[in-house]
Amino acid sequence: MPTVTIDDRIVEVPAGTNLIEAGQRVGIQIPHYCWHPRLSVVGQCRMCMVEIEGMPKLQTACSTQVVKDGMVVRTKTPAVLEAQRAIMEFLLINHPLDCPICDQAGECALQDYGFKHGQAFSRFRYEEKRTYPEKERVPLGPHVLLNMNRCIHCTRCVRFTQEISGTGEIGFFQRGARKEIGVFPGRPLDNPLSANVVDICPVGALTSTRFRFAERVWYLDKKPSLCTGCDVGCNVTIEHRRGRIRRYKPRLNPEVNDHWLCDFGRTTAERYDELPRLLAPRIRKDGTERAVSWREALDTTTQRLRARSNEGPLAFLGSGFLSSEEAFLLAALADAVDSPHRAIWVDSGPARRIPNPRGWIEGRDAAPNRRGAELAGLVPGKGGIDASELLVGDAAARCSFLFVADSDFGRAAHDPKVVERLRGAQFLVVMGWADTPLARVADIALPVATHAEREGTFVNVEGRLQRFSPAFPPPSQVREALSVLGELLARFRPELAGRSIAEVFADMAAQRPAFSGRRWEAIPATGTVLESIARVAPAAEG
Amino acid sequence: MAFEKVLTRNVGHPEALGVRGYRDRGGYDALTRVLRMAPEEVVEEVKRSGLRGRGGAGFPCGMKWSFVPRQHPKPKYIVCNADESEPGTFKDRLLMENDPHQLLEGCVIAGWAVGANTTYIYIRGEYTKAARILEEAVRDAYASGVLGENVLGTGFRHDIHVHRGAGAYICGEETGLLESLEGRLGQPRVKPPFPAVVGAFGCPTVINNVETLCCVTHILQRGAEWFKGIGPDERNTGPKLYAISGHVERPGTYEYPLGITFRELLEGCGGMYKGRGLKAYIPGGASAPMLGVNDQEIPLAFDHLARAGSMLGSAAVIVMDETTCVVRATLRLSRFFAHESCGQCTPCREGTNWMAKILTRIESGKGTEADLDLLASVVPNVGGISLCALGDAAQGPVKSLLAKFGDEIRDNLRHGRYPLPRQRFFDPGAAS
Repeated sequence: MPTVTIDDRIVEVPAGTNLIEAGQRVGIQIPHYCWHPRLSVVGQCRMCMVEIEGMPKLQTACSTQVVKDGMVVRTKTPAVLEAQRAIMEFLLINHPLDCPICDQAGECALQDYGFKHGQAFSRFRYEEKRTYPEKERVPLGPHVLLNMNRCIHCTRCVRFTQEISGTGEIGFFQRGARKEIGVFPGRPLDNPLSANVVDICPVGALTSTRFRFAERVWYLDKKPSLCTGCDVGCNVTIEHRRGRIRRYKPRLNPEVNDHWLCDFGRTTAERYDELPRLLAPRIRKDGTERAVSWREALDTTTQRLRARSNEGPLAFLGSGFLSSEEAFLLAALADAVDSPHRAIWVDSGPARRIPNPRGWIEGRDAAPNRRGAELAGLVPGKGGIDASELLVGDAAARCSFLFVADSDFGRAAHDPKVVERLRGAQFLVVMGWADTPLARVADIALPVATHAEREGTFVNVEGRLQRFSPAFPPPSQVREALSVLGELLARFRPELAGRSIAEVFADMAAQRPAFSGRRWEAIPATGTVLESIARVAPAAEG
Repeated sequence: MAFEKVLTRNVGHPEALGVRGYRDRGGYDALTRVLRMAPEEVVEEVKRSGLRGRGGAGFPCGMKWSFVPRQHPKPKYIVCNADESEPGTFKDRLLMENDPHQLLEGCVIAGWAVGANTTYIYIRGEYTKAARILEEAVRDAYASGVLGENVLGTGFRHDIHVHRGAGAYICGEETGLLESLEGRLGQPRVKPPFPAVVGAFGCPTVINNVETLCCVTHILQRGAEWFKGIGPDERNTGPKLYAISGHVERPGTYEYPLGITFRELLEGCGGMYKGRGLKAYIPGGASAPMLGVNDQEIPLAFDHLARAGSMLGSAAVIVMDETTCVVRATLRLSRFFAHESCGQCTPCREGTNWMAKILTRIESGKGTEADLDLLASVVPNVGGISLCALGDAAQGPVKSLLAKFGDEIRDNLRHGRYPLPRQRFFDPGAAS
C-alpha cells in the first residue's frame, strides 16, 4: 500500500484513498462540505484545499487520491488557512445567519467550521444579501422542507437522489449566485429514503418536517441502538430528551444500512408516544383492575402455571419484538412447565429496502427479530399449538393458561376479534410496554421496557446478530422483560436465579446450535452473521 | 503590413464554401497527404510546429494530442470548441462562416492523428449562420466522400456532428462543454482526470479551438518549418487572427503573424476612433488583465503578454479611448463573469458576485478608500482556488484595474460617477 505524508505524519493507505480519508486515519481533520464518502467527488465547495509538494496551486483533498508513494501534503500552511478563511467568508456573506431559529444550529458544519476556520466579523456590510424570495420553506416532499437562503450549494442532496436512492428528484437549477436546488415540477421528493438528504445536508437548508422545531439538538442525548421497523436491523442513534425519543439518526454500519435509514424507520419510535404506556403491574379480577406489586403479579402468574386444576394446554405466544435472549427464556419457561405450546407471531409488512455498498437489503417482517426468536427456540414443540391456531383458530379457548409477549405484538393485538379470541383462555397474562386492547383484557398485565430501555440482540434478515443497549432507563415500576422472565423461570428452576444477560446468552449459545461459539461480550459493533442461517437467508439483490 | 493571409485566404471567395471550390483553391490536399502518413508522424509534425492552442490557454496542441493513449479499449473523440463566447472575440465565427472546410479538414486530420472516428463541433447557440454553413459543409463533405465510412477512398472512417450550444459562456470551458455535449447541466468537471484520458462520454478526447484546427490544416500542408518561421520566437509561432473591437476606426478580424505589437495592430485598423487618445486595451478577451498607454510596444504573443502580466487569451483586442470610464468598463466585465459563473463552486459563485457588488458601489460614487482594500483582498481569493478557470478569468480585469488605474478609481470615489460633470460635486482638493 502506498504511503503519504500529511503534516509530517506518514500514513499507509490503500491505493485510491483520497486525502480526506487518509487524514482521518491519523486524526487530521480536513474540513469539507460537498465530499461524502458514499457520493461522487465533485470538488465544489473548495473547503478541503491542501498544499501538495510539487504542485503550484492548492489542491482539493477530496479529489486527490493517493496512488503511489511519496506525496507530501500540508493542511495548515498559511496559503491553506487563507483559502479556508476565504471560503468561509464567501459562504457566509450571503448566508442568513439565522442560527437562533435554525434547526441545524448545534450540528451545523457552517457553524463548526466558521468557529474553527472563519472570522468573527463580516466585511460584507453594505450590500444586501442574496435571498431567494418565496423559497424559505419549500416542501420538497412529505418529509423534507427546503430553505434555499441557507443552502451552500454542496449538491450532496442532488447526488444522493441520483446515486443512492436512484430516483433523481432533486436538481440544480439556475446559474451563478442565483444557483438553487429544487425538485422537478410534478416530481416531489417522496422516495422511501428521502429524509436522508436532511442528514447529509451540512447546513439547515433541508430540514425534517417531523423534527423541525421539536427540540434544540444540544438538549438531545444520543445513544446507539437498532431500528425496530423491520428485519433489516438498521443501526441508529436514538436521540432523546429525558426518555422521550425525538428522532432516529442512521448510524454507520457498512454491512447493514451504511449511512442511511428509511423514512418509515424514522417514524417507528413515534409508536412509543402514540400508544398508552403500561406503567405498573395490573391484575384484573371480576371486572375490576388494580395495580399490584411485581411480587404479587409474579406470584399469581406462578400459581396459575402450577395450578392442579389446569386441564387445557399452557401456551406461550412470543413475537418478533422479543430479543433473542428473552425468546430463549420464554421458551425455557415453557419447557419448565413441560409445555410444547411455544409460538411466535410476526406481522409481515411492506418490503423495506436499504442500500449498502454490497447492494440492497430487503426486510419483509414488521418486527426486528423473528429469526432470533425462532433460533432461540421459540417454535412449537411436538404437537404444540402454533400462532395462527391461537389468533385465527379457536385454540385459545382450550388453553388454561396463555402468556402473550408482547402486548403490541402486531396488528392483531388491536383487533377486537382477535383480542376476544385470546381472551378465551382461562387465564391470560400479557407482558409488554404498551397498554393495548389486549393488555386491557388480560388477567395480569406486566409492564416491561421498550427496546430503547433495555439490552439484547436481534438477528436480521441476513442472519446478522446485532446487540442493542439501553438509551435511557425505563419508568420506575417498569422492568426489563429479561429479568421478569428470568424470575418466573427461577420459580421452576431455582438454579437459574439471578442470571445476567451475558449468562443467559451463554446458556443460549450452549443450547441452541445457531448461537454456538458466540459470546455476549464478543459480538462486534457491526454485528456478526450466524452462518447456519445466512445460507438460507435471501441474498442481497442489486 | 505585408503578410500572406493563410487562415483567411478564402475569405471573400464564396466558392470555397463548397467542397469543389475549396478543392480548387488547394483544399483537402493536406488531408490527402496526411492519410498516407503514420498518425505518430502527424502528431510529431504538429508538435514541431510549436502550434499553441488558439482558444485562450495557449496549451501546445501537439502535446495535447500526444496525451491521448494510443491503445485504448474505448473510442476516442475530437471535439472542436466553437463555443466562442469570450466577450470581444469573433474570430472563429469568421473562419466558420467563410471557410468551413478548412475547419472540417483540420478535424479529420486531428482524428487521423489520434485515432478518432468522430468529431463533435460544439458551436455557440447564437451562431445560427455559422452553424447553418457548417451543417451545409458537412453534408457536402459526406456527399463528396470527404467524410463518412471511407474518407477520400482510404478506408478511414470519420464522422462530424455539429452540436449547437444554448448560449452559456461556461460551456466554452472544455469540461463544461463536454457536460453540455453529453446532455447535462453545463458545469465544469473536477480535474484530473483530464479529457485526454476521460473526456466525452468517458472516452479519451481531444478538445481544440476552431482556429487551432484550422492552423493544423496548414501545418500539414506546408510543413512545420514554415509555421515556425512565422512569429517572434520558437514558443510563439504561426499566423494569428486578432479580433479588434472598441474605439478604433475599423474594428474587425485581422490576420497577422503572431507577436505583432499593439501599435502595429492599431495602425492596421485605421488608428483610434476619431483620433482620440488611448486609455486602456484588453489584449485577449474579457478575462485578460487590461494594459495601458505604456504597454503599446508589447508583442501580442503568449509569453510576451504573460510577462507583461496579461495574456493573449483569444486575441480579442478591446480598445478603450480616453473618454472611457475604466471603472465602469471593469464593472461591466465583472457583471458578465458574475452572470456567467456556473455557480457550482464557492469562490466563483460568491466571489464574482461580491466583486461586482463592490465595484457597483465604487462606480456609483458611494464607495470609500476601504472598499479598495476590501476589493484588493477579495480578488485573489476568487481565482486560484476555484474549480475551473472562470474564477481566474474574473480576476483579470479587476486585478489590472487596481494595479494600473488606482488614480482613476480614487477619482471616482471622490467625484462620483464619471463622466458626470465634476462641478456638481464638492471637491475639497479643487476648492483649496
